[in-house]
Formats: sequence, structure tokens, C-alpha cells
Amino acid sequence: MTAKLKVDNVSKDFTGRNGKLQALRDIRLDINEGEFLCIVGPSGCGKTTLLNIIAGLENVYKGRVVHNGEFINSTGPDRLVIFQELGLFPWLSVVKNVEFGLKMKKVPQPRRRETALKYLDMVNLLKFKDAHIHELSGGMKQRVALARAFAMDPEVLLMDEPFTALDAQTRDMLHDELQKIWQETGKTIIFVTHNVREAVCLGDKVIVMSSQPGMIKTEFRIDLPRPRHIEDGGVMDMVRPILKELSFEIKKSFEEEYDAKKDN
Amino acid sequence: MRKKIIKQVVFYLCLFGLWQLIVAMKIWPEYVFPSPIQVFGTIITGFSNSTFIVAIGISLKRIAIGYGISILIGGFLGIMMSKFKTVDETLGSLVLGLQTLPSICWLPLALLWFGLNERAIIFVVIMGALFSITTATDSGIKHVSPIYIKAGRNMGARRYTLFLEVIIPAAMPSIISGLKQGWSFAWRSLMAGELLFVNLGLGYLLTVGRELNDMSQVLAVMIIIALISILVDKIVFGKIEANIKRKWGLSAKY
Ligand SMILES: Nc1ncnc2c1ncn2[C@@H]1O[C@H](COP(=O)(O)OP(=O)(O)OP(=O)(O)O)[C@@H](O)[C@H]1O
Ligand SMILES: [Mg+2]
Repeated sequence: MTAKLKVDNVSKDFTGRNGKLQALRDIRLDINEGEFLCIVGPSGCGKTTLLNIIAGLENVYKGRVVHNGEFINSTGPDRLVIFQELGLFPWLSVVKNVEFGLKMKKVPQPRRRETALKYLDMVNLLKFKDAHIHELSGGMKQRVALARAFAMDPEVLLMDEPFTALDAQTRDMLHDELQKIWQETGKTIIFVTHNVREAVCLGDKVIVMSSQPGMIKTEFRIDLPRPRHIEDGGVMDMVRPILKELSFEIKKSFEEEYDAKKDN
Repeated sequence: MRKKIIKQVVFYLCLFGLWQLIVAMKIWPEYVFPSPIQVFGTIITGFSNSTFIVAIGISLKRIAIGYGISILIGGFLGIMMSKFKTVDETLGSLVLGLQTLPSICWLPLALLWFGLNERAIIFVVIMGALFSITTATDSGIKHVSPIYIKAGRNMGARRYTLFLEVIIPAAMPSIISGLKQGWSFAWRSLMAGELLFVNLGLGYLLTVGRELNDMSQVLAVMIIIALISILVDKIVFGKIEANIKRKWGLSAKY
């Protein structure tokens, strides 16, 4: 099987106040069609930067990203990000938010509404179609963001710590929902999280990154039957080695920051 | 809500009662301090012989033209300032400086440029609202949260669609508050202009009242001017703001 999405030797520098900072170094990823890839890593290791590059929101970097055989250097409706801050539009109703991308694709109106309602139904929010965004709870907003992304029928979905701010129950529910939708639609998903259990629960593969500079450290295959739940014994067994790896990286990045402070 | 209305009705009845009482004590002669009934009578006659209607019509027409032009020019300048750094650094500083100038100060200049005619007074009205609208549009656009722009681009919005479907709606709360402030400046400049430059309109009726020593007409016209301000401010802008609050929730910034 050839990779659908290929991240080839990508490096990214930022020039900030403290001079040059290498956010990513020589990132290589091969992601197959329909694969669910999870990325964990210490804060600041470049996860968001990597998603932005794949999405085409960040254009200045070294290396190449190839999707369906074409180089990526701009945003495209085939690759959608669900941002941590979601970025739902408060001036639009829930259903109009979900319709937005379709409108940009010039899908004509009766079909646009139909599609939006179908996906709102999928995340169980049909009742709230005319609500405004500020009237929704955090979990409901997450689901609108899911519906908005899936309604555009992208090939690749890039999710940046989407469930971090939620309570455990809501998160479990959304894990079930996301796995269900993923299995139904066969999308390729890259999912960034801080939570190793979440990563093991959702991913076919879990990648641990290290920071300063951001690099891929280890890759774990998760061959557990689906649907999985976060408390499953198998999930717990897989979590331990990954968590050990990640804790090591987090500790390292803390110490580096501490040393950097001492030097200043 | 009901209670509030009752309180207000009682308050105004008391106010008019007090007014009538002072008049009844005959401290000042009636032509200096007319009774509320007299003023009310003047309003009725003013409307029935249509002098007030004509004056209101003329003032509203002036403000509609002046304010409308302000919105067009102010919106355009605001957009330019938010998009081009050079425009911001040059024109922006000028706008900031001119904003502090009360717009009636433009009247002598307007009279020299345009002569004693409609165009001079409309110019003053334009200057009244222009800078509020420019600044609010500019800062509204500049302060649009980057996440909305990222999300818009992510979903395929490009230059014009991004601007029309994301940036402008996201900046709307700020733009509306600028429009509201602009309206009240424009209305004040119009009244000042009509008072000084005397050619029809509500401000002109005030001057006429003074010249005829007709205190009753002066008060009647003042009441009408205040009522028009309240109507536009509370009802027109009140509705628009309530609508934005309803959509945005508490995050709408004013
Ligand atoms: N626009 C920018 N300018 C300068 N430096 C930046 C910029 N964006 C990110 N960085 C730096 O690049 C590094 C990676 O940032 P990034 O946001 O990708 O981290 P992350 O892995 O997503 O972290 P977190 O888990 O906390 O979200 C950080 O050190 C950050 O300070
Ligand atoms: Mg991040």
C-alpha cells in the first residue's frame, strides 16, 4: 500500500525573541488511507506546527508534504483541521456554521442545508440546529466542530487536542462517536493529544515526539480490536510503555527549559 | 419591565406637575417660562400647520445624506487602514488627530468652500460621523481573532469570501458601536450647524423661536430633537445591538 499522505523530511524554524528556534526537525511520516494516527509529545514540541503545515496554513518550511501525489503549499478542502480553539463562528447559527465550508465549495442551497442537517444528526445535535454558538456547552461545541469538518467530506482530518477541555464522561462519549464516524466514513485522521490513554484508545498508530527540536522519537502500533474504550485492559497495557517514553521526554524538556533559564 | 414603565410614567407626570406648579407660582412671566400645556399646544399647532413636519423632514434628509456618505467613506478608509500598513501609519495618525476636533469647527471652512448652501452643512455632518466610523472599522477588522481567519481559510474561504464572510461579520460588533457613536456625533453637528448657519431644519426653528421670543417654540423643538435622538439611539441601534448580543452572547465587545 502506498502512503496517501507523505511528510518528507520536514523541518521548520521560527525566529523569535530569543533567536532561532527549530520547532521541527526532519519529520518523516507515511500515513495510509483510512489510518487513524495519534501524536503525543511534550508541550511545545511542534505538534500544532506540524498540523498547520499539513493543512497548508503554514507555508514556509523545509522539506515536502505530498498528498495524493501532489505537493501541498496551500489550504485545501481535502485536508481539514479541527482546531483546539474550534473557531466556530459566533455570528452564525449552528446549522449555518456546518454549512459554511459547503458554501465556500459553492454547493447550492437546498443540498447544503440537507448535508449540514445530516451531519448534525450524526452528532446528535439536530435539536440545536438554530441555536447560537454561545448557547452550547463545551462538548456540544466540539460536536458542532466535528459535524462542520465531516460535512465537507475531507479526505484527511487533522485534530488538534480537540477533547482536552472536556470532562471525562463527555470525552468518552465523543471517543465512541468519533470511532463510529471514522469507521463509517473511512477518513484518514491525524489526532494530536496530551493524553496517552486517549491516543491508544483511538489510534492505529501512536507516535511519540520529543522536543527542542521537535522530532519523531518512537512509533507504536496499536493492534487492539475496535470499538475500544478508555478503560479496556488492552488499552491500559499499551499505555504503560508509551507513557514511560513520554514522561521521559516531558522531563527532558522541563530540564532543558530550566537550564535555558539558568543560562539567561 | 411593566414596573419600569409605571415608574417612568409616574416620574414624568410628577415632572410635568412640578413644572406646572412653578409656572402657577408666576415667578417668571409666561413668555420666559411657558407651561407644559402651552408647549404641548405649540407642538400640536406646529404639526398641524406642518412647519415642524417640514423642518423634521429637512433635518432628517440632511442627516441621511451626510451620515450615509460618512458610512461609505469611513468604511472604505477603515478597511484601507486595516489592510495597508502605510495607510495606517500615515492616514491613521491624521484621523486620530482630527477625531479630537469638534466637527462644528469645520463650518467656517465649509462655508468658504461651498458657500451658504446645503453642501456646507452636509459636509459638517459628514465630518461629524466620519472618524468614529473609520476608527471603529479599522480596529474592528484588526482585532478579529486569528482563529476565525484560520478556520475560514481552512474551509476554503479565499480573499474576497474570507473578507465578506468571515472578517466583516467578525468585526461587526465593533463596527456597529462605531456607527452608533458616529450617528450621535452627526446629529449633534447637524443641530449645531443649523443653529449657526440658519437655513430651515430643526436647528433653524430653535433660532426663529429665540428671535421671536417664543420660548414655547424653543422648548417644543428641543423636545422633538431629543425624541428623535432617543428614537434612533434606543430603538434603531438598540435593536441592532440586542440582535448582536443575542448571537454572540457575552463575548460581543462594545
Ligand atoms: N508563530 C510562532 N513564532 C515563533 N515561535 C513559534 C510560533 N509558533 C510556534 N512557535 C514555537 O514553536 C514551538 C512549537 O510550537 P507548537 O505550537 O507547534 O507546539 P505544540 O506541540 O503544539 O505544543 P502544545 O502541546 O503546548 O500545544 C514552540 O516552542 C513555540 O514556542
Ligand atoms: Mg499545540
